[in-house]
Formats: sequence, C-alpha cells, structure tokens
Amino acid sequence: MSSSKDKAPQQQTVDLSTLSVDNLAAVKKQLDDELEHLTTSFSKLHQAQSKFKECIATIKTGLRPRMTGKTVLVPLTTSLYVPGTLSDTENVLVDVGTGYYVEKSAADAEKFYAEKVKTLTENLGELEKIIAQKRQNVQVVENGEWFTRAAIAGRSEVLT
Amino acid sequence: MAGKMLQDLTDQFQALSKDMSSIVEARQKLDSQLQENRSVQKEFANLADDAKIYKLVGPVLVKQDKSEAVMNVDKRLEFINSEIARIEKQITDIQEKQERKKMEIIQVQSQLQQDAQAQVGA
Repeated sequence: MSSSKDKAPQQQTVDLSTLSVDNLAAVKKQLDDELEHLTTSFSKLHQAQSKFKECIATIKTGLRPRMTGKTVLVPLTTSLYVPGTLSDTENVLVDVGTGYYVEKSAADAEKFYAEKVKTLTENLGELEKIIAQKRQNVQVVENGEWFTRAAIAGRSEVLT
Repeated sequence: MAGKMLQDLTDQFQALSKDMSSIVEARQKLDSQLQENRSVQKEFANLADDAKIYKLVGPVLVKQDKSEAVMNVDKRLEFINSEIARIEKQITDIQEKQERKKMEIIQVQSQLQQDAQAQVGA
C-alpha cells in the first residue's frame, strides 16, 4: 500500500518564453513522465480499493450465521479442492500488512476494510487533483512549444 | 585533447545520473515500506492486548504475542528510518557531485569555444 505521498512536487515557476525549443521539449518529457507515474499510481490505488470492497462484500454474503456447518470446498491449489465444513462464521483472519494477520470478528473486519476504503478514497481524491494540475502544466508547456516554434519560423507577427 | 576530456566528463556525469535514479528508486521503496509498517503499527495500537496475532512465515501462520509483534514492527520502523536517513545523505552527496561535474563540463565547453574562436581569428 504505497500512498504516493513521497516528496511533494516542488513548484518552481519558470518563464516559458525564455526557454529554447530543446529545453521546452525536455520540460515536457519530464512532465509526461510524472503524469504517467501518477496515473499508474492512481489505477493501482483504484485496484487496491476494489479488492478491499470485495473483502467487505465477501464478509457480508459468505459469513452469515446460517452458513455454519455448511460444506465448502477448500482450494489446496488452483485446481485441487478438499471438502470441509465452515465451523466458525464469527471470526476471520485479516491481513494487516507486512506478513501479520489478526483475528477479528466479522463486524470488526468489515470496519477495518471500510476504513481502508475510506483512506484510499481520500488518497484518490488528492491524487486526482494533482493529476489535473499536471495535465494543465503539460498543456501550458505544449502551447509554449508551439509559440516558440512559430516565432522561430518567423511568423511571430501572426501571433500578436 | 579538450574534446576527449569533455567526453570523459559527460560519461562521468551520466554515470552519476544513473546512480541517482537507482538510489531514488531505493528511497521510494523504503517509503512504501515505511507506510506499510506504520499502518500495521497503527492497527496494533487499536487492538486489545489479548488479540490473536499471527505472523506469516513462509506458507504457515505462526501465532505471536502482541507485545512481541509490536516490538518487531517498532524495530522495523526504526531500521527503515535509519535507512532513509542514510539514503538521503547519499542523495545529497550525489547531487553535489553532479553539480560539480556540471561546472567542470561548462568550463571545458567554454574553453573549447574559445579555442575554436582563436583558430578562426588566426
């Protein structure tokens, strides 16, 4: 669960009109890389979130008291199953990270996952804002690139 | 002569950049480990003392006392923090080196330009 809160992007203002085409291209590449990194983080967070949501749904549907004593098939490998009976619908083991598992009641486990989903929603919201900001930056740089090229082509009078 | 020097300097500069990116990667990995361990620590803090905690060892879950688990995570966090401090120092080190190389390169470049101009003038 790596929330992408590493080093806050340092905002430094650079007057784009002072940069050459090469410099602009370099700036654009850097922005594109950052944007790509952020969007992959975004989809990873999204995936993690849906996994947690799935856990909640499973607890809700699969762990009813009336399921006690029911026969289930326990997967030993992806293609080999043994029959078993569900003896405990009250408690579950929850992976809390770094290889630790904690026994929790179904209700507590649900709370735990709901909390995770909430945190992720907040992170996703923050990330979305950052991505929008970066997109805008890319746009600005792209425009700058175009203007500079046009100016070099000697058509600056058209633009003014 | 100076051209060869410039080539060497740029090679060195590129090697530094490569070092830099691998170190930054390591730093990011530590950061995510830090986050994960912190969230486990937080989770442990909310648990009752007699909570049943299991640790994954290979494919089996081994039961562990809460105090032991908490101590383990605390120790890990301590280790990760010291690693981060170490790597941060390396990063500033490399940044300084890069800065110095850049200055050297600029110097050699302007030297080359001057030489070229002198030749044209002669």
